[in-house]
Amino acid sequence: MIDYRARFRINLAIALCGLAVFAIVPFVANSGLVFLAGLVAINIVFGLCWNFLFSGAGLLSFGHAMFFAAGAYGMAVVSLRMPELPFFLGLAFGSACGALIAMIFGYIALRRASGVYFAVLTLAFSELIHIYITKTTFLGRNDGLVGIPRPTIDLGPWVLDLTSATSYYYFIIVAMTIAAFALWCFQNSPAGRLIQAIRQDPLRTAFLGAGIRGWQLTAFVVSGTIAAFCGAVMVPFTQIASPEIAVWTVSTQPILFTLLGGAGHFWGPAVGAILFGAIAYGTRAMQGLSDITVSVLLLTVVLLIPGGLLGLWQRRRRKAGGRQPGQAGDDARPGTAAGKVEARQ
Amino acid sequence: MAYKMNRRGIVKGIAASTLAVPFINLRAATAQSGPIPIGVVTPLSGPVQLIGNFVRHGAEIGAAHVNDNGGINGRPIELVFRDSKANPNDASVAARELVGSGTNLQLGTISSAVALAMGPLLESEGGVVITTGAGTEKINHENYNPHVFRVGDSPVSRNAGLVRHIVESRPDLRKWGGIIPDHEYGRTTWKIFEATMRKAVPEMTGEEAEIAEPILVPYGSGDYRNYIAQAMRMDVQGIYTSVYGGDAVTLYQQAKPFGLFDKIDVLLDSANEFLVATAMGDQTPAHWSGFHWYYEANKGNPLSDDLYAKYVEATGDTYPMGWAAEAHAAVLAYAGAIEKAGSTETDDVIAGLKGLRFDSATGERHIRAEDNQAVKNAELAYIEPSSTAPAGFEVTDYVSLDGEKVVEPARPGQMLDTSNL
Repeated sequence: MIDYRARFRINLAIALCGLAVFAIVPFVANSGLVFLAGLVAINIVFGLCWNFLFSGAGLLSFGHAMFFAAGAYGMAVVSLRMPELPFFLGLAFGSACGALIAMIFGYIALRRASGVYFAVLTLAFSELIHIYITKTTFLGRNDGLVGIPRPTIDLGPWVLDLTSATSYYYFIIVAMTIAAFALWCFQNSPAGRLIQAIRQDPLRTAFLGAGIRGWQLTAFVVSGTIAAFCGAVMVPFTQIASPEIAVWTVSTQPILFTLLGGAGHFWGPAVGAILFGAIAYGTRAMQGLSDITVSVLLLTVVLLIPGGLLGLWQRRRRKAGGRQPGQAGDDARPGTAAGKVEARQ
Repeated sequence: MAYKMNRRGIVKGIAASTLAVPFINLRAATAQSGPIPIGVVTPLSGPVQLIGNFVRHGAEIGAAHVNDNGGINGRPIELVFRDSKANPNDASVAARELVGSGTNLQLGTISSAVALAMGPLLESEGGVVITTGAGTEKINHENYNPHVFRVGDSPVSRNAGLVRHIVESRPDLRKWGGIIPDHEYGRTTWKIFEATMRKAVPEMTGEEAEIAEPILVPYGSGDYRNYIAQAMRMDVQGIYTSVYGGDAVTLYQQAKPFGLFDKIDVLLDSANEFLVATAMGDQTPAHWSGFHWYYEANKGNPLSDDLYAKYVEATGDTYPMGWAAEAHAAVLAYAGAIEKAGSTETDDVIAGLKGLRFDSATGERHIRAEDNQAVKNAELAYIEPSSTAPAGFEVTDYVSLDGEKVVEPARPGQMLDTSNL
């Protein structure tokens, strides 16, 4: 019997510990590093929502950049073209853009394809969005939209001034903690467990009366909405939305985070994103070395520790505790990267 | 709760602390002694790395020149390089990270989109940037920001100069077309080309210029054949192009078998300098190209001769291109401004740069206080294929136009007025 209450408490503690660690950064690091930490916080949730789709729903997406860009551009358009609208409406609009795209493309892709074909379709859709942005004058074409202001939020008796990079950083880490934990809650809700059941055995789950495509589409939309939310939160921080955030290399990032951290663990992409950010920072003055380091690390992880860093940590912990591998594997799946380790969702 | 310390725990703790040290980079002290850091954020990887390398060498030679002459008020310059990948996102991350670690003075921007993004960013972060080749007119017009300077020629002085020179030397050419990158820089250059041509041709000949709709080509495409086929259908005598870097080489190589360059009398290239010629050798089509700096046109200028000699010594390449001189000039401009202001604080350096007159590889430059745009001479060279030259091409003609005569009036905050060109 799985004790969901204990899991809830443990994962809430993990999220709050992460928030606390990120909250300390402005006290010990310069503003450049704080800026990078803000981007890492966004990347963590971007990775988590991709992995929710991959390990949770069993859908491999090569096109998450389209959601991220949709959220970023949605927010940028509201901030620049309709500055009178409240900031939270911009966030909602950006997220809704991602949700809408996920709904349309997910509906088409899930009707027609699965597995690798689905992945290739998402890549094609993502490229379509990229081309659309570069050809649309309203969205700044190849130059993007620059000078996106940071907000001042009027909360009645209080005014929340987020115009400085540090105050906006705190907004980011709180927003990302809430998004990450909300995703965990959804993944462990009855709906989330049903989605995981579909991943494990679609035929049996259909036999029980669940609408497979409907739930897969739900997972796709949830993941797309959260990715778009990440993009929408990022834009006032970087103050720029350029078409480069819609290219396929951005779609590969959450995949890298997940492979590094461990696909079979909810917090795996978070570990990957932090490590990825640390490598990028550590090698920032050595051109090209960042890519080589990440590639070598990725090869090492994939070939030697297929469960990612959290998988390695878990195996070592079990070994130390004298437990047999496989004992706690409650939803491992054969034949997939996620299935090679025991998923502790 | 009992807590046991053991050897492994201590080793882990030490290892974790050591790993964390580079990240616990405490707030940068605003030191008034020691080296003056200048950030160089430029493409050092990817398709535009070729240009970024010129920026890197130019900045290094400029810094060495300042340091060899006693530094700035006794303090040497220290360059801090970051890769912008010609991508506004990566550039903005690098620029912020540099400002955060105390490097508020930056240079190296060559992409227009990056230059436009830098203004609001550095204004909010408290930094300043000197672009070393960004071609958009917006940075000294409607998107003018006091934190962004351009020490190179404005797109107007470059392109309007090129057009006026061609109209004067070949008044018989009336029909023009263009192949333009669908990009901020491309649209800017075309706007200036078209406006100047429509004005200069009637002035010179009394007849109207016939200018076809430009062909817009995507950035970073490996296949331009459809666009070249479209260009073959144009009834024109001359083609103007501002496609640049590796894209230009691809375009020219793919256009050769179509016979596009045999069909026209003149090819005007906005800015590729020797990029196309060094890649294509004796297959290079004859063309006029705009230059930030052409060393032959500046022979006898000690700064130019020194830059050329040191560049060739460092790289073995005998065809340095103008971005090196722009980065070199940016370093010299910072040196002049810091000396003038007596401080490296952002506001003081901005005040020092405004109105600064300084010597560079292309002679004296003057940064206008109104719009942060430098006034310098515009240089053009005619490159032809050659069976005798070792590189397969040679420069058979060049001109240097007086910057004061070709630069547009300062209009910060307002759109470019093409009726003045």
